[in-house]
Amino acid sequence: MTLFSEAAGRQVVSTGNAATVGKIKTFIVDPTSQRVVGLRLSKTPNAGTVLPWPSIHSFGADAVTIADEDLIVEPDPQLAALDVKQHSIIGKQVLTTEGRKVGSVVDVDFDPADGRVVSLVLGDHSIDGTTFIGVGSYAVIVKA
Amino acid sequence: MSTLLRARDLAKLPVVTFGGEDVAQLKDIVYAGNGGQVTAFTLAGRSLFSGPLKVALAWSRVVGLGPDAVIVETQEHFAPLEAILADDGVEGGGSGHGDVLGSQVLTDTGTAIGVVSDVIIGVTTPGGLADVVGYEIKPAESLGRGEQPLLIPLPDTMSASGEHLVVPEAATGYLTDDLNAFGAAVDAFRTQIGENR
Repeated sequence: MTLFSEAAGRQVVSTGNAATVGKIKTFIVDPTSQRVVGLRLSKTPNAGTVLPWPSIHSFGADAVTIADEDLIVEPDPQLAALDVKQHSIIGKQVLTTEGRKVGSVVDVDFDPADGRVVSLVLGDHSIDGTTFIGVGSYAVIVKA
Repeated sequence: MSTLLRARDLAKLPVVTFGGEDVAQLKDIVYAGNGGQVTAFTLAGRSLFSGPLKVALAWSRVVGLGPDAVIVETQEHFAPLEAILADDGVEGGGSGHGDVLGSQVLTDTGTAIGVVSDVIIGVTTPGGLADVVGYEIKPAESLGRGEQPLLIPLPDTMSASGEHLVVPEAATGYLTDDLNAFGAAVDAFRTQIGENR
């Protein structure tokens, strides 16, 4: 398992020409599937800045590998909709479906093999990723 | 588990969707029938200058009601109050709340124990009811309990007029000033008078 905070800044390398083609800036998360669905990159060679999760060859401990830098694209409408500030999870308050605030998200633990959100880290405790329902401008919602 | 909440604390509580957006806030509580249950909430907008909304939130559409927020699946579930009341078979506005505040609480043996200052709502979610389980009262001097507000449990059914609320004498044995201990007091009281849920 890997934390967002650990993986941010990790380099993205193209296995085609062995060149570094970007660095992980932020994670794009889809609450419906409870998965990381893409990576927003910085320092990319071309205009595209988003790497959709299915284009990743391997999410390694030291680098994310992809087959070719052309896989870094402009986000499609669905990814673009998730990649806005109101959908970012870090720092947001967490409300249960019982209407109780249980803390704020400090970090997110995910499975680098498939992008699954394993848990939301709230500082002193963690919440199972399968309870994650949604995130908006006001709060992250989890099943009580 | 049931959560106990003061009606006063519910006003302005944000209404938050599964999508994490605060789409409204609570304005008033609409009680059904004789004021024993919450049937709906009227809503106001979230921004400073937005007034009341034309739609309301039926209790049946509430996923969770807690100290920090009201959770709904989607704002699509908001509906005009008239439609909600018609669906629930409630006639008229059922505004028992406004009438209750300031009413004198009498025991069935004729002792005045105080004046209602707030309504205590017990919530069981999901799928449960929002039941009026007690009142916060400003105690009558004759009670000899000082001036701190006290909580008094209510039977599930009771008689009320605009002027007086009549509670069984037995309820006075469960007066407390602690909302955390009040749930147990309500249960014990309702068991004693033989109508525990």
